[in-house]
Amino acid sequence: MIKLSGKYILKFLQNHYEFVQDAFNYSKPDFIIDNDILEKLIEEYNISNDPKISLTKLIDVKFYRQLPTKDFKINRSYADFLQFLFDDFTLDLPQTLKERYKTIFELFTALKTESKASKTIVLVQNIINVIDVFLNDIHRQTQRLLNDTESLKVNADEYSDLSKRLEKAVFWIDEYIEPLNKILEKGHPESFYSALVEIQKYTSEKQYVADSFKLKREYKKLYGSVVYARIELDQNLQKLTRELRPLLDRIKSDSIILSGFYHFVENVDYPKSYIVPIPSPVKKTKGSAIFKEFHSEAEFYVDQFNYKTSDVYYEEQIEELEWLPDSTYFKQQLLKEDKVEDFYLWCFDALKKHTTEITLSKYFSLTNLLLEEDLVAEYKTDERITIDLKDASIKIPKVQVYERVSK
Amino acid sequence: MREYPSEHNKIVSELLDGKFIISPSPLFYTIQELEDDYVEFFIKSFNYKLNLEAEFIYLSSDEVNEKRTRDFTLFLAILSRELDYSGKNFRDKIELGSFDINETEELLRQSSKWEILEKTTVSEFKKFIKTWRSKNLIEINGNKFKFTKAVKLFFRFAIEIAEEKLKQSLKN
Repeated sequence: MIKLSGKYILKFLQNHYEFVQDAFNYSKPDFIIDNDILEKLIEEYNISNDPKISLTKLIDVKFYRQLPTKDFKINRSYADFLQFLFDDFTLDLPQTLKERYKTIFELFTALKTESKASKTIVLVQNIINVIDVFLNDIHRQTQRLLNDTESLKVNADEYSDLSKRLEKAVFWIDEYIEPLNKILEKGHPESFYSALVEIQKYTSEKQYVADSFKLKREYKKLYGSVVYARIELDQNLQKLTRELRPLLDRIKSDSIILSGFYHFVENVDYPKSYIVPIPSPVKKTKGSAIFKEFHSEAEFYVDQFNYKTSDVYYEEQIEELEWLPDSTYFKQQLLKEDKVEDFYLWCFDALKKHTTEITLSKYFSLTNLLLEEDLVAEYKTDERITIDLKDASIKIPKVQVYERVSK
Repeated sequence: MREYPSEHNKIVSELLDGKFIISPSPLFYTIQELEDDYVEFFIKSFNYKLNLEAEFIYLSSDEVNEKRTRDFTLFLAILSRELDYSGKNFRDKIELGSFDINETEELLRQSSKWEILEKTTVSEFKKFIKTWRSKNLIEINGNKFKFTKAVKLFFRFAIEIAEEKLKQSLKN
């Protein structure tokens, strides 16, 4: 094949669509691919596809050219078309865009002063082209930013590193959205948008008053392009300012909150490392008639013990030193009674007058009085009553006790 | 003697109970109208700072070191993280949505950070939720709960940390 035809190129793209897509993806964003990777791609593709592809063929259709470094670079015309084809655009820094479109001002200044009709026509055609390419670029940028922002928002997993997410959002806002806004800013005299307004004013008149029909026709085309461009730019601006900017701001502020919380959780045991003091809403304050200094001092004192939460305090045993009833005293009391109908109950009642903690040992030390020689015990019935002591319940018989008559 | 608004008693007792007063409560607007008076009243009577935010009012004190506030912040931090991980817009969900009490407890228990929460008052989740309802930070409706506007105080705390950290990292 001596001359490359359009049909042949389209056929090549159609036959090897999958390969082209892979080659495109691997070489983004600069469209340069490593020699080895390319060979591997070709090899893999050829295993399952017919007709096969070769490096020679790729160079023949001017898809690739080899760089002195042996890497391969996709031809710019293909790269642009493929970006459009796969709806996958690379981002240009707005500075680049700005530089690229400064020409519009120069061309327009030249147009206003040009007197030759032939030169005027060329200038008009050039301005139309510049506007067109500009629109295309802005559209690509906006689309790309929207897609990336959506993915940043949705794929929390992929961007689980908060600082990266934040960094990306901030980077896009600072490096793309803001400068793009400036380029498009309506009120700014040096913005592309105000250039369009100027051209529109100029051509709206010229399309009727120009010297020749041909010139009128050219001015009309330019007028139409400019009006169309303004509508397109308005739509893009809306996407940028109403969708993209709030979305990125949101990602930015959400990531800030999450990273702040992250720091807090990591340092939760070290309040000094919180960096900023934690909110300190007051606790429930009971109104009490003590003055503040006393209250805070008492709280300070009590707080010292609050740290020792693991300590266990046992209830103090009030009667740890077991005392036993003074049997002499109780014997006197017993003798005063003259005759006791129910001795065991009497012992219980007598003890109860002195303590609520009637233990088995206290009770028995008192009932031992029964063994005193000068007392007589009479036991008549089988009846039993239950007495609940502190450490036991006992069943006791009814026993009469009185002093020996010999007294 | 000066004149007090008719809600004075309620205002003072709610705030001293550690409650947040949330707009559009009538108390909120009364305090807002008498901002200077009430700021002075609380500082002179109790040495408490009255904080009037855009949507809520609360008392604070530098002398207070309450572990429960720390626990609430932890809870919110970990809940935000889990919601974010599950692809939800955590701020919308927390500021506007409602949460099933049991499901939320389950979500937290499955988190790798539960080991932190289980050592705090959050471990008894239902009790924890009720405690914060009594402070007006949470509203409970049947099996569900939602956060009141006062939750923004804790988001702001997180933002302040992050910004402070950013400043520090810029210095280094």
